[in-house]
Amino acid sequence: MKIDRRCFLSFVIGGALGTALTPVPWKLTDDIAIWTQNWPWTPVPEEGPSIYKKSVCTICSGGGCGINVRTIKGQAKKIEGQPDYPVNRGSICPLGISATQHLYGPSRIQSPLKRAGKRGEGRWEKISWDEAISTVSEKLSALRNQKKPHTVTCIAGSDRGTVAYLLERFLTAYGSPNFIRALSSFDAYELAFSLTQGQQGTLGYDLANSDFIVSFGAELMDGWGTAGQMFSLYPGNGKKSNLVQVEPRLSDTAAMANQWIAAKPGTESALALGIAHVIVRDNLYNKNFINNHCFGFEDWEDKNGKAHQGYRSLLRQYPPAKVAETTGIDKGTIESLARGFARAKRPVAIGGRGGHLASGGLDEALAVQALNALVGNINQPGGVVVVPEPDYLSWSEMKTDKTASEGLRQPRIDEAGTDKFPNTRFLLNRIPEAINRAKGESPIQALLVTGGNPLYTMPNTEAAKKAFDKIPFIASFSTYMDETAQHADILLPNHHFLERYEDVPTPAGTPTRVIGLTRPVVKPRFDTLHIGDVIIRIAGSLGGFIGQAFPWKNYQEFLKQTLSKQWETLEKQGYWVDSEFIPPRWARAFNTPSGKYEFYPQERNNPSGKDTDALPGFRPADLPGNPDKMPLTLLPYSSIRIAGGAVANPPFMTKTVDADVIRNNDIFVELNPGTAKKLGFSEGDAAILKTPAGEARVRIHLFEGLMPGLVAMPTGLGRNAFSSYIAGKGANVNALLADIAEPGSGLNKAWASRASLVKA
Amino acid sequence: MTKQEQHTSTKRYGMVIDLDRCTGCGACMVACYAENNVPFSKDESDKMLTLNWIRVFKVDNGKPFPDTEICYIPKPCMQCDGEHMDGHSPCVSVCPAVATDYDHLTGIVSQIYTRCFGCRYCMAACPYHARKFNWWDPVWPAEMEKYLNPDVSVRMRGVVEKCSFCYHRYQKARNKAYLEGRDEVYEDEYQPACVEACPTKAITFGDLLNPEHQVYKLSKSRKAFRLLEKLNTNPKVYYMTSKKWVRRKTDNYIENESPGETRNSSKTQKASH
Amino acid sequence: MTTPAIPEGVKRCSTGKFALGLAVAGAVLLWGVYAMFLVWYKGLNQTGMDNAYGFALWIWADLAIIAFGGGAFFSGFLTYIIGRKELKSIINYAVIIGVICYSSALLILGLDVGQPLRGWFIFWHANVHSMLTEVAFCLSLYLGVLVIEFIPVVLENPKLDRFRFIHHFSHNMHEVMAVFAATGVFLSFFHQGSLGGVAGVLYGRPFSFREGLLIWPWTFFLFTWSAAAVGPCVTVLITWLTEKIAGKKLVKQEIFRMLGKISGWMLLTYMIAKIADTWYWAAVTAPSKGFALMDFYTNNPIYGIWILIAELVVCGLVPALILISRKGRENNFLLAGAMILAVIGIGINRWVMILQVMAAPLLPFQDWYMYMPTWQEIATTILPIAYGTILIMLAYRYLPIFPQEKELNPGS
Ligand SMILES: Nc1nc2c(c(=O)[nH]1)N[C@H]1C(S)=C(S)[C@@H](COP(=O)(O)OP(=O)(O)OC[C@H]3O[C@@H](n4cnc5c(=O)[nH]c(N)nc54)[C@H](O)[C@@H]3O)O[C@H]1N2
Ligand SMILES: Nc1nc2c(c(=O)[nH]1)N[C@H]1C(S)=C(S)[C@@H](COP(=O)(O)OP(=O)(O)OC[C@H]3O[C@@H](n4cnc5c(=O)[nH]c(N)nc54)[C@H](O)[C@@H]3O)O[C@H]1N2
Ligand code: SF4
Ligand code: SF4
Ligand code: SF4
Ligand code: SF4
Ligand code: SF4
Ligand SMILES: [Mo]
Repeated sequence: MKIDRRCFLSFVIGGALGTALTPVPWKLTDDIAIWTQNWPWTPVPEEGPSIYKKSVCTICSGGGCGINVRTIKGQAKKIEGQPDYPVNRGSICPLGISATQHLYGPSRIQSPLKRAGKRGEGRWEKISWDEAISTVSEKLSALRNQKKPHTVTCIAGSDRGTVAYLLERFLTAYGSPNFIRALSSFDAYELAFSLTQGQQGTLGYDLANSDFIVSFGAELMDGWGTAGQMFSLYPGNGKKSNLVQVEPRLSDTAAMANQWIAAKPGTESALALGIAHVIVRDNLYNKNFINNHCFGFEDWEDKNGKAHQGYRSLLRQYPPAKVAETTGIDKGTIESLARGFARAKRPVAIGGRGGHLASGGLDEALAVQALNALVGNINQPGGVVVVPEPDYLSWSEMKTDKTASEGLRQPRIDEAGTDKFPNTRFLLNRIPEAINRAKGESPIQALLVTGGNPLYTMPNTEAAKKAFDKIPFIASFSTYMDETAQHADILLPNHHFLERYEDVPTPAGTPTRVIGLTRPVVKPRFDTLHIGDVIIRIAGSLGGFIGQAFPWKNYQEFLKQTLSKQWETLEKQGYWVDSEFIPPRWARAFNTPSGKYEFYPQERNNPSGKDTDALPGFRPADLPGNPDKMPLTLLPYSSIRIAGGAVANPPFMTKTVDADVIRNNDIFVELNPGTAKKLGFSEGDAAILKTPAGEARVRIHLFEGLMPGLVAMPTGLGRNAFSSYIAGKGANVNALLADIAEPGSGLNKAWASRASLVKA
Repeated sequence: MTKQEQHTSTKRYGMVIDLDRCTGCGACMVACYAENNVPFSKDESDKMLTLNWIRVFKVDNGKPFPDTEICYIPKPCMQCDGEHMDGHSPCVSVCPAVATDYDHLTGIVSQIYTRCFGCRYCMAACPYHARKFNWWDPVWPAEMEKYLNPDVSVRMRGVVEKCSFCYHRYQKARNKAYLEGRDEVYEDEYQPACVEACPTKAITFGDLLNPEHQVYKLSKSRKAFRLLEKLNTNPKVYYMTSKKWVRRKTDNYIENESPGETRNSSKTQKASH
Repeated sequence: MTTPAIPEGVKRCSTGKFALGLAVAGAVLLWGVYAMFLVWYKGLNQTGMDNAYGFALWIWADLAIIAFGGGAFFSGFLTYIIGRKELKSIINYAVIIGVICYSSALLILGLDVGQPLRGWFIFWHANVHSMLTEVAFCLSLYLGVLVIEFIPVVLENPKLDRFRFIHHFSHNMHEVMAVFAATGVFLSFFHQGSLGGVAGVLYGRPFSFREGLLIWPWTFFLFTWSAAAVGPCVTVLITWLTEKIAGKKLVKQEIFRMLGKISGWMLLTYMIAKIADTWYWAAVTAPSKGFALMDFYTNNPIYGIWILIAELVVCGLVPALILISRKGRENNFLLAGAMILAVIGIGINRWVMILQVMAAPLLPFQDWYMYMPTWQEIATTILPIAYGTILIMLAYRYLPIFPQEKELNPGS
């Protein structure tokens, strides 16, 4: 066969065309196109109409922001701020937005569980609710039979709202005085307010109307109080608020502030007293308030004719020059800060520095609060108010039996309210010590933990864990497998907040009286039960007066009944504002022995009896550790992108954290470049951070915004529970901190720790 | 601008981010993840491998303690109009498969995940690193698939994704307007998730051509500028700050050149048709 | 009588030795194939690339390999269009090297995309504005042309040539070859250029952005020119290497010198243009975007100014000057050395035009981006070398590639 050119070309072209004309290649490419665009393992979310449901976020411990949850076919899709909610006005923080990740994520406890292996081993056996409730009831009943009801202790995330009241009521009926609220940076302030003003309640700062805010370390933009609320207020919503931030580290708050004053950490009370010195010296204080509504400003004589020093005399010890030396702040800065504060129309001073576990503790709180008194902004617009406890929680008196009455007469295990610390209400941080001090069996025989995660958040976490190990029975009501739940004997998981009803009384920092309603936006996903229902059922199975104290069918009925006046409003708009709440006028505001604001708090527990120990003062904390071997100071700092409390950072938030805070599983500590140079560290170096409480592997990040000599470490990392998406990232700063009881108050004054860094 | 022009259907949606109001909280990032089904993995610490449609950068003035200052810069896709304001954004003009496109009606640069074959040329072209690649198959552990938003398709491994100005929200708003017999989508009807979530209201969003929208005025403010303005990418994301050092951090300046001198003529907002 | 598989009149090594060689190259090939499988199965997370490095080692390999394969089009251009018939002694080999280079380039592109099964979208949904579209079209078409150029060489294998149909078929192909060669040259001109355009059009990336002519940035022309300059060097170097391994002369020395001379002049003119381009870029383009030249070179671990000097002087001007001087060309050591330098220089050029572009920070608050390829990327980049070696071994053994071989090795 001879092939000519034509034949050749037609062969080639014909072949190509022939193949192309068959359906085979086209069908194949089409299939490929479709297939590669719909990998079967890529999820396709279900469509449906969007329904927005109003609720209140309670995921953080400062919690209480109004939210709108977008749901589709009963599933929560997205959490947004509720624009008209009186606390946060539509602003919410990243943790609130991420709450759906916790709702649907792998950290949930899906049913009641009984420990199967050793404590903390993580082996569990699924049990029914009946079994879980009867296990707890039997344990509690046995302890009562042994006349030891007071050895039952409850740690709760909050002491307000219906759930806290149910718990307290339960303990009372049962016979234990040991209801303990988790630690809070507000502890010291609440104490200061009760001593100087004789009022119990939450603190409200009317920042929206203030024109000069001095914050002594309260990181308003880093998660202080109710983050959503702070964001909605500052920066000013158009108004210019003059914020001065006192803090040794350039936090996000300090960065937003008009002025950043880096006082040596732990000297805030000296600074506050120095400012007061200038205000008093220059006669810039509010004469009306000081002359007519205050006690202990001037020197005074008591009933027995004994002369006492007053606040004015005390201030002589704090002249600007000396305070400048103590705090490291320029004298002129102190003077002008004082004048700026006193001359502003509506100035306010806020404490609440980091470390939380108090600081100069009560002293600092008193020193800062005295500034508010000096300018007379108490119960004034733009000032500070005490929002009293909600009054809706008044139920029938209950009867207690003899066992209960005897139990209730026992001293509290945390020594709060005892002769040692008579003014303080809760001292969770004293618990480990109390257990270790006891000879023989643990003073706590059964521990109920709800709404808190002490084995992560307590200082010196390892020591706390060892103490907890001596408690024979630990029950946790946690929604998530958190560090404390992981260490418990029995788990009775509460619904997630997106699955339940609950009242949310005025969140900390809010100057108005609000009740919010958390509502189920999705059906409970697992075999969980509302903690209120569990308490009612346990009470029922204990019977007797205890059972009688809980006549409600279930929590929801109880809640409706309790909030009967507000319920309709709550159902409709999701919140209720007490329009009758007006901060009382000065003449009627103070329930102190003098009936006035007490610069000299007469009820302050003062074992030494010296005036200077009753008045606010600067008493540096004697941090443990040898300063020669541990020349650095470890400063915990919070980041709004890391949930620092009991609930861990959901993956979404961790995703926002920069690579110089956490990289792979290494946590970075900040160091001033000068300090780093002296120690021979450069960016990214690995190091061992040692404190008297423990040590951790860290990496170095150089940050000019940190005071030399400090090591700053973020709170909220180093989880070892929850899920594999959360655990194992970095180290827990709480484990590196110590706990020192402030004399008189018992609050932890170890706001930081001595530390050393060595090359790893 | 005349009344008539105002009512053209051509819009140029844009943002103005006030850096003096941004606290760096990250709510915008999280809101975007939640709205747009952005996946996550166990270790998100390598920021060059993670998916972020908007990322908030922390910058400092480089001065020693205590004169240090920091500023946060949130950075979504700049929705560039391109060199000649004609939609030839750096990324759109290079995509060989038209998997990313410039919508002349809104000025939004779209991304078609099912058409993208993952050549990453657009990533190489984008000077803002706004584009992210799906290096892994996305995984939502436990029941997390339940929170996925049906308005936004879930991306598969091997394709590029980026901020869409929440285009699905525009579609919804437009459909609603259409049903109500309106031409105009009201300013508050179409707001992206990050804008809505910003708790300090640092971000303003709207039509840069519409004098009634806030962004119109804000983008013309003396304090307004854009990132890397000199590259002529013509972003529709504007920033504002009163801090000079921050301005210096947002573009490159050769010696003795100072910010402000380089505002180029593209500032006059032309619509492209 | 069975026809021998080996072409008539030439000697080849023993089957055992040949098999051993195949086995060694095959092992490397398998390693590469394993890596390739991993990349396709697990995805691009197997690479060291990230969101800053959308383009990395592979794209560099693509650009370099295609520049190196430029010998095919440029020799074709010289042979068929300019009419330098003496180059027929090397054109077959140039075509084979071209086939290897271009098929490898396409293979690597197939690896490099995140959704390889959708790779054809580039044709289906083609965006005519994209340089990559131009690359894809020209590259595939040109590979087609090269295969067509290669087929008659394959068909000349004695075992195949026996068949009348095949014999006539290949004869016919030879006759139309000039048409294909011309098409190939045209296509080549465009895709070499569009490869240059890939980085040159990135107006958001001042490091690679270049102004230019109409829609083509200067890099478009620089890439074509440089590929033409260095392609023949690669052909010569590989031929040389083949001679060394085979232990015999395959192509006359003057062919090498002639190609060397052409390369030299091409390289020199290229360098003049390249230096002018660099100067204009450094003095005008970059400053207009706020960058000083040294912003692109200082303060990072690898991209120091040395890289620019290495590209332009050590591996640019120096080899060009050697190649254009008769003395330089007549010294085998200098000739080979200059060609090697020239090849490295163009390799560096392609490297910086891809990787340094990705590395250089644009926003002042960002840092240099660093990148480290994984073994999977390295193995798949070496894969073409193994595959090329095998193809060359087979071609050399079974096909009559070198028309001068018999003449140059009369004894065998
Ligand atoms: N060193 C150091 N120690 C600290 C701190 C620190 O920064 N440093 N922070 C301190 C401060 S200020 C605080 S407030 C504490 C916080 O520490 P905790 O009081 O322990 O934490 P909370 O956030 O109050 O409680 C969260 C827990 O309650 C559950 N939960 C989540 N939402 C709800 C809900 O709506 N209702 C109920 N009943 N449970 C819920 C979850 O399962 C989770 O385990 O830690 C303190 N400890
Ligand atoms: N995302 C998130 N937000 C939360 C919470 C949460 O768990 N997650 N918890 C909420 C609760 S319960 C609370 S109490 C608040 C706490 O909020 P804040 O009271 O603001 O406490 P922190 O933000 O932890 O710490 C404030 C900062 O004080 C600085 N600091 C440390 N020691 C000292 C010192 O000695 N002096 C001075 N001046 N500064 C010091 C440190 O830089 C530290 O970062 O946050 C609330 N907001
Ligand atoms: S501040 Fe607390 S309550 Fe408010 S949104 Fe954030 S996590 Fe929820
Ligand atoms: S920012 Fe990048 S991705 Fe966005 S439009 Fe501009 S070039 Fe494209
Ligand atoms: S990665 Fe996708 S969108 Fe980007 S250029 Fe390639 S095909 Fe286009
Ligand atoms: S506009 Fe939408 S897609 Fe873009 S960053 Fe904001 S939330 Fe994400
Ligand atoms: S949400 Fe607003 S304040 Fe927070 S980081 Fe984003 S832009 Fe800044
Ligand atoms: Mo707290």
